[in-house]
Amino acid sequence: MREQVREVFWNIPVWAQVLHYVLSVIAVAILAHGLYQRYRLWRIGQADNRLDRLPERIKLFLLHGIAQLRVLKEYYPGIMHLFIFWGIVALTIGAGVDAFDHYVLHPLGISPFQIGSIYLIFSQLLELFGVLFVVGLIMLLVRRYVLRPDRLDNQWDDAYVPLMLLAVLVTGFLVEGLRLSVELQEVDLSYWYSFSTIGYILAIPFEAVGLSAEAGKAWHFGLWMIHTILALAFVASIPYTKLLHIITSPTNVFFKSLRPKGSLVPILDFENAESFGVSKIEQFTWKQLFDLDACIRCGRCQDNCPAYLSEKPLSPKKLIQDLKNNLSRMGGQILSSETEADAGSQEGSGQLLVGEVVSEEELWACTTCRACQEQCPIFVEHIDKTTDLRRYQVLMESKFPSEVQPIFRNIENNSNPWGIGWASRADWAEGLGLKKLSEDSGVDYLLWVGCADSFDDRNKKVATSLVKVLQAAGVNFGILGTEEKCCGDSPRRIGNEYLFNTLAQENIETLKKYQVKKIITACPHCFNTLKNEYPDLGGNFEVFHHSEFVAGLVREGKLKLSKELSKTVTYHDSCYLGRYNDIYQEPREVLKKLPGIKLVEMSRCREKSFCCGGGGGRMWMEEDIGKRINELRTDEAIAVKADLVGTACPFCLTMFEDGVKAKELEGTLQVMDLVELIAQAI
Amino acid sequence: MNPYDEFAVEEALQLKEKFKGDSTVTIVSLGPQRAIEAIRTALAMGADKGVHIDDPALAGSDSFTVAKALAAALKDIPYDIILCGKQAVDDDCAQVPQSLAELLDLPQAMVVEKLEVADDGKKATAYRRIEGGAKEVLELTLPAVIAAEKGLNEPRYASLPGIMKAKSKEVKNLDLAALGMSAGDVGVEGSKGKILKYMLPPEKQPGKKIEGEPEETAKELVKLLREEAKII
Repeated sequence: MREQVREVFWNIPVWAQVLHYVLSVIAVAILAHGLYQRYRLWRIGQADNRLDRLPERIKLFLLHGIAQLRVLKEYYPGIMHLFIFWGIVALTIGAGVDAFDHYVLHPLGISPFQIGSIYLIFSQLLELFGVLFVVGLIMLLVRRYVLRPDRLDNQWDDAYVPLMLLAVLVTGFLVEGLRLSVELQEVDLSYWYSFSTIGYILAIPFEAVGLSAEAGKAWHFGLWMIHTILALAFVASIPYTKLLHIITSPTNVFFKSLRPKGSLVPILDFENAESFGVSKIEQFTWKQLFDLDACIRCGRCQDNCPAYLSEKPLSPKKLIQDLKNNLSRMGGQILSSETEADAGSQEGSGQLLVGEVVSEEELWACTTCRACQEQCPIFVEHIDKTTDLRRYQVLMESKFPSEVQPIFRNIENNSNPWGIGWASRADWAEGLGLKKLSEDSGVDYLLWVGCADSFDDRNKKVATSLVKVLQAAGVNFGILGTEEKCCGDSPRRIGNEYLFNTLAQENIETLKKYQVKKIITACPHCFNTLKNEYPDLGGNFEVFHHSEFVAGLVREGKLKLSKELSKTVTYHDSCYLGRYNDIYQEPREVLKKLPGIKLVEMSRCREKSFCCGGGGGRMWMEEDIGKRINELRTDEAIAVKADLVGTACPFCLTMFEDGVKAKELEGTLQVMDLVELIAQAI
Repeated sequence: MNPYDEFAVEEALQLKEKFKGDSTVTIVSLGPQRAIEAIRTALAMGADKGVHIDDPALAGSDSFTVAKALAAALKDIPYDIILCGKQAVDDDCAQVPQSLAELLDLPQAMVVEKLEVADDGKKATAYRRIEGGAKEVLELTLPAVIAAEKGLNEPRYASLPGIMKAKSKEVKNLDLAALGMSAGDVGVEGSKGKILKYMLPPEKQPGKKIEGEPEETAKELVKLLREEAKII
């Protein structure tokens, strides 16, 4: 019995070995050149520190760059990608180990990976990964070209990459089979069967047709050359095809924003800056540009985008790809003009993004619901780009949907989007026995009412219910009354950072004046802004959404929920409560404790909840393209046969009530805020 | 800023854009200290400079004395056209623009929905809606006084650089002495009319709902109309 030896370069003449090295160097050079070109493109972006909090970044990288937990959230594409990813990793490591053994260990007189039992196990492991790799690639081809899900668009490299990889794998296995078929003629290697299974199986037909050793060697050499050239072409093409994501996607995870999910990056200097927001590609930060190259067009964002699903022109995937194409096209021009002139004079690409690359309809269709970012396996950040583009439109060009202008004016003049006189902000609270902080600031909690609950008739009832519940639980709280102003969420999402900044500063000043520490609010938009965005402007408060606060009261036994309600309720997750602030459990916990309530879930819920259509300032804009988002969502509530939709957000409540009216289901399908149900039950 | 004034400012800015060159938009406003905010808003929209007429003696002025003060200020400001809002939104008097035109002896077009200024800047055509939805078209020789109505244009929203620039634009302050007027010309004393008092409209009484069989409710209704409302 011959010792189990993996003979490196078996049957390969020296000239071919040398050629193989020469080609390897060329391939790596092409790879490096392409990567450097992309690197230069990222560098035209603005500064942004993404190297802080390294331990967190390393953890993210391991969980989502290597273990790819988000990719696995969808089974078919998840497993498919798992096979391909680990196939590539294993075979690359295999080749590396071989080379290490051959060039380092072998000269030292040891060769564990090429001789003996370690080699056999190693060989069989690689065999297994190779097979899974092939399975993954076949799954890929079936999905992309047979099943054809809507979210995939096919470009040339979508075929090139899997076919190329398949060719590398098939030629690799054939080379192994031919080697074994020739060797089998010389020595008995039948026990190898269990260690190079595929190679052995492939050797059988060669044996069966009586391939001579000579012909076998000739075929082996020819296929080896093809295998080698294909493998090196694969390496060289990484930066020029979708393969680039092998490098950029996991890196993108590492560079993910670690700010609170609900906080946009503020503009702090209005006095000295000359331009605000983004109009041209190079005004994005380097990380925003890196995002573009990290996106692999998997389309999970598009699958979950309410704008796309309601037939608006916006698709988050298309947005990112359009920006990427602009980066590739204009970036080169910017770089060459920089080398010609001095690097100081940055006149830039000259191509305005909005209007030429991103249409106005796309820009204003986004509800900032964050479904795209929640689903993106590699944490591409769509919303900050949209907001930056909106900021330029609003702050520099004063261009935005015309119905938004009165909203800005109303907020400027009366501190609320409805435009109702500021002096009547606290009218809803008359006769409820509420303290105003101007009269008595010695309260435990401030109830931040918000504009909707102060001025919108339907939502005033929510405010009143919340007051009833808090009073029943003996909470010591007060309100600001007419001193409260719009928190700034809507103007900020629309891009009016200046108005947001003004409002936030005024509110923070008022809150500090009364030494407010803890805040309860019924509006997830106020909640998110006060909690996650005011700290950037020096306002640090402990902020509770009423759903979590009331859940606490119920848990502590401070509320007796005794009255039977007997309703089938479906809970609609507000984007700014759920995806932005991870509050999914508390509202459900409260609902389950209500006597007689049966809780059913809509097909999209929690992280995958479908926006009501009112976020991102969309509450104030016309929706005249495609279907209405709130009606689509209302259909989902109808589908689960609920007789009541539970909400925890004034915008959601309004959008749902409109949806119910449009479907002419008033009286059949009720819409109520959680706290209204609680008020009924006590 | 009063929405009608906003239309006037926007129209002025559009004319400035049309005629380019060295045309200037000057904002003239009479009012207490807070009027400065409205002037700054107009400057942020793109107007070039402001004139703020403010004097304690002006308090209580009626439309006529306001127009007198404005006319006095306009002696030192060159103009090709004067654009005003058609009325204030507090007292709804709607008298300043026409008084001003009379005082300056200029042609006038009030409540204008559409304005066309000839390319030579010598003539303007003003469109105004009159009774029954009909349109009146006026041709005016410039300079003239135009009072803006809703629909004239869509006022722009000031850009942030506009807001920042407005902070450093010139706003001249004029008191009565600078206008060459005395306290007796303006304020309550100079006014043609006197405001005796302000009253709130009477509060609406809640409606009454009569329920029951039609024959009885009809009887009840007639009774109420006769005895309580006293209209039949």
